[in-house]
Amino acid sequence: MSDTKVSRRTFLRYLLGTGAVAAAGGVGVGLAPAAQAALARTDAPKARYALIIDTTKCVGCGACVHACNIRNNLPEGRSYVHIVPKGDAKRPWFLPVQCQHCADAPCARVCPTRATYHHESGVVLINEKLCVGCKYCAQACPYQARTYDEERGVMDKCWLCLDWASEGKDPACVQSCVLGARIFGRLDDPNSEVAQLVASGKAKPLHPEFGTHPAVLHYIIEGE
Amino acid sequence: MVQTAWGWLIAIYLFLGGLGAGSFMMAAFFELSGWRYRSNFCPVALVGATVSGPLVALGSALLIFDLGAGRMQPWRIFYMFTHFSSVMTWGIWILTIFIPLALVYGFLELMESEAFLKGFVAARAPWLLRNARTYRRWVAAVGGVFAVATAVYTGVLISDVGPAIPLWSQPVLPFVRIPMLPVLFLISAVSTGMGLTFDISATIADPEIQRRFRIMDLSHIFLIGLENIAIGLLFISALSAGGAAAESAKLVLYGPLAVVFWVGVVLVGLVFPFVVHAYAIGRGQHSLASGVGSGVGIVIAGLLLRYMIVYAGIPAAL
Repeated sequence: MSDTKVSRRTFLRYLLGTGAVAAAGGVGVGLAPAAQAALARTDAPKARYALIIDTTKCVGCGACVHACNIRNNLPEGRSYVHIVPKGDAKRPWFLPVQCQHCADAPCARVCPTRATYHHESGVVLINEKLCVGCKYCAQACPYQARTYDEERGVMDKCWLCLDWASEGKDPACVQSCVLGARIFGRLDDPNSEVAQLVASGKAKPLHPEFGTHPAVLHYIIEGE
Repeated sequence: MVQTAWGWLIAIYLFLGGLGAGSFMMAAFFELSGWRYRSNFCPVALVGATVSGPLVALGSALLIFDLGAGRMQPWRIFYMFTHFSSVMTWGIWILTIFIPLALVYGFLELMESEAFLKGFVAARAPWLLRNARTYRRWVAAVGGVFAVATAVYTGVLISDVGPAIPLWSQPVLPFVRIPMLPVLFLISAVSTGMGLTFDISATIADPEIQRRFRIMDLSHIFLIGLENIAIGLLFISALSAGGAAAESAKLVLYGPLAVVFWVGVVLVGLVFPFVVHAYAIGRGQHSLASGVGSGVGIVIAGLLLRYMIVYAGIPAAL
């Protein structure tokens, strides 16, 4: 991701704004306090992110899964990223799937409590304070991207490490991908690598036939 | 493989919701059509009205028990009334209106037949007894609408997951974009309601009742036919859709759920009641065993139908 320089004055202004935004319950409600603070001082509220997964490079090593589990303190067996083996024995390939951050997110539509909502960047988030744990969203997500936190009884899923993203850093899964199969950046910057990959049509949404209009994740899949 | 988010608690809830709603519909139909007044005592109206509230309330309790944070912190349940693009929000409103109506209906019926209650009401609220029929008719009419809504909503709830679980969202016909499950669950609700209030309760209370309502045998055969068509179409369309829908159909037709389906749903819930009711039409009457037997068969099959649908829900392949 290209670095976005933040002047000290801007930084201080956002830092001051943090309290007000948090009090208004605006962005990132229900997230951990540290994440909330980070989100509130985001330098670009109009940021549009893209995470492109290049399946021609992915070997299914699972580094992204582990990095995600560590970052989000997830117990064994529960992960925001799951790797779907594809192809056959002769030519296997791997499809890492996580929340696609759909524009028409069925999880948000079926949520009876409005716990699932769109962050102003388009990223789909869960307000844990509203979640009742009915698991309807998990059923309605065609990407099977939601996990259930048994201990707290709330739903949980990829939040694109939005605190890091808003600081100009890559999400944990992207940082951990040694093969460069994950490309992260700003879609609203036409010069960024992700914007160009998406604009050229090389990177496409996964299963557009589901009709959910994935907004953040795009895939490069050979032969498609 | 099969979805794991919802299990048998939800299956039982879907069944109890349908059974309670169907029982209410039977009682309300007997009330509004005047059939209730063909004799001094009408077991269908009494049983239908009194069991519907508790059955749906029990189902709703299971639903709440299946929640996570909502069970540990019950005040969160109030948030569920707020998002009208969610069928679950519609459902919780429907249940919140239907359950009290059904409980009131049950009370209005019970106070007619229970001497103790009648005496109590006569002493405290004589106006209630004076206009009992008017109140019953109103509750039956308004509650009847919500009973249908309850039965239909249980199907809409799980079919609204859309492409995520293709079996649940199969359309009635390829060119009719209404999902099949609400239709199937409504048919099953009416049929299990009839099984409980008429076949079982009415036969036990008054075996002669079968003679006075021969139309019920025909109704059962009509409903069994409809259910047969609905189930048939569901699995034909699932098989022809391919993918996860076809996988679901295979689980049911010749996979691990085949015994539940062929024995529990088809044999016990469709073939057996069909034979019993067809035989009763020919012979002109039921025996106690045939009435109760077919009713029990239909009710058990209603439960197994919901179980089978829930446990055959395979998410779309990625």
